[in-house]
Amino acid sequence: MLFLSRIADLIEALAQRHRLLPWLLAYALLLTLPFILSTLFNDYLIDLANRACLFIMLAVGLNIVKGFCGQVTVGHIGLYAIGAVTSAVLSLEPGGFGGALGFGLSVWVSIPIAVIVTAFAGLIVGLPSVRLEGAYLALATLGLGESVRIFIAVTPALGSSTGLMMIPAPSIGSFVFDSFTSYYYLVMTAAVVGIYFSFAILRSATGRAFQAIREDTIAASVNGINVMKYKLLAFVLSAIYAGLAGALFAHMPPGYLHHNNFTVIEMVTLLLMVVLGGIGNVWGGVIGAIVVTIAYDQTKDLVVYFMDRPIVIQPLVFGLSMVLLVLFMPRGIGGWFEGVRRNRRFIQRSEEKLGDAARNS
Amino acid sequence: MTLLETRNLSKSFGGLQAIDKVSLKVEQNTIHGLIGPNGSGKSTFFNLLTGVYQPDDGSHINFDGVNITNSPAHAIAGLGLARTFQLLRLYGELSVLDNVMVGYHPHTKYGPLAPLFNGAAVRRQDKAVKEEMEELLEFIGLADHAEIPAAELSGGQRRLLALGRAIAMRPKMLLLDEPGAGLSPVNVDSLMSTIMTLKERYNLTIVVVEHILKVVMTTCDTISVLDHGQKISEGTPEFVKNDPAVVEAYLGREMADEDIRAAMDA
Repeated sequence: MLFLSRIADLIEALAQRHRLLPWLLAYALLLTLPFILSTLFNDYLIDLANRACLFIMLAVGLNIVKGFCGQVTVGHIGLYAIGAVTSAVLSLEPGGFGGALGFGLSVWVSIPIAVIVTAFAGLIVGLPSVRLEGAYLALATLGLGESVRIFIAVTPALGSSTGLMMIPAPSIGSFVFDSFTSYYYLVMTAAVVGIYFSFAILRSATGRAFQAIREDTIAASVNGINVMKYKLLAFVLSAIYAGLAGALFAHMPPGYLHHNNFTVIEMVTLLLMVVLGGIGNVWGGVIGAIVVTIAYDQTKDLVVYFMDRPIVIQPLVFGLSMVLLVLFMPRGIGGWFEGVRRNRRFIQRSEEKLGDAARNS
Repeated sequence: MTLLETRNLSKSFGGLQAIDKVSLKVEQNTIHGLIGPNGSGKSTFFNLLTGVYQPDDGSHINFDGVNITNSPAHAIAGLGLARTFQLLRLYGELSVLDNVMVGYHPHTKYGPLAPLFNGAAVRRQDKAVKEEMEELLEFIGLADHAEIPAAELSGGQRRLLALGRAIAMRPKMLLLDEPGAGLSPVNVDSLMSTIMTLKERYNLTIVVVEHILKVVMTTCDTISVLDHGQKISEGTPEFVKNDPAVVEAYLGREMADEDIRAAMDA
């Protein structure tokens, strides 16, 4: 615990020198991760790291709309699907397998278009939030998100049950991002930039407006905040994160996309990340994404035999941990750490005051 | 000069006429009291002025020369009409400093997407705003608590913060909804003196709803009395105090004059 606080103090000291210094340092450290993983363990872990980066982007994006702005949305995975399928279809060669659509665009063109399309979709997912709140909004967004998956599942042009195959990998000149390691640099950079921008939003008037809406909508409107505009903006911003994550997922080796990647179970996993990390806490969301991605990977083959029949218990484990988390740790890892830090600062300040008083007397 | 004017302001909820054709003028740089028994429509009146509720057809509200009758709440706030709530409605999870910084929102000079494209401008302005808001917290006596979540403040401090958040909007007019509710008499006196200082310092016009008649009688320049959604009396504190209609609204027809005087002077 003390160790973590030391690290936090060190980061603060670095930030004093230059705002971007901790970020650059973290980025440099992360660049070495594939070498460490492949030397100490194996290449599969790099693939896992890539997935973790995608989920970090999703969790950080979801945090903007759910954590900062307080809008309960369960349709986020649908936006992820829209980003993935849009970019895949735009970049596939025409006349692909099983009647899949293809436009043969460069990946560097298809990804931005996919992000823009997802941003618009985010606006549509956000529209119910103007009228609905809480559980009702959750239901409406769940419906929207799930209908996207079903639409993909029944449309041959979008892959239907076979999925989209041979989605091209991005390339610069003759260098192709088609290995786990090379793709890692792409998604890791996107994730770091995503986290940075999420902080930039949080620490501006925009972020304060989001939080004010979360805390008290009426007070926020009387404070001059256009509630509707900011709610929709939160949805669009989070959709941009989801769209980018989805597009990067589509082109990730082995370049295969199936609607099973966008089920409600995935959505629950994503929610678990945000809740475990602490709703509204950016670093918490990042930690939650990493922890849950690893846990998901480790438990996916977990089978219990009951009367000689195998039972996959992963959904049970995840569902149960969600319930336990909400009951016993509603503020997650991030909220807990925040509390510890605040107490420490409070004690520090009190000691300083006592010292002053002693010197003055 | 008249800063705020309502004409035939009405609002009904189903069959209940909460506000019934109230016409009222508030002069600049005055403190205007709004009193009336429970359920007489005082809070509804504030909600109509600030756009929380939309008034019925035929109503007219004019603020600082602008027709704000059907304007949304955020637009009205942008024109310089701030308010506090009876139940405060602070942003509990946000720090005290962030609470007042949200109050500054209408004067933010950068757009909502600026943090993505123009981080330097955002940081520069936020630094200036932060300094200004710290000064404000110093003035209302909450500077030591700037980092604490608003929910952790004591009752009196929370009332001060609600006031600070409204002042951070740099309003022309401030609507105070029962600022002294739940405070001890000593605290009410100090709160009222803080309000008077703020009025001078920021050149405010104030409309105040208050149940503590002593406060209203001593600080207000003009008082309007509401009963069952209608304005039944208006004038100087002295005039209102002696108006039989007011006395009747508060205490019923039977009550002797002497007792009423005693109650109001208490």
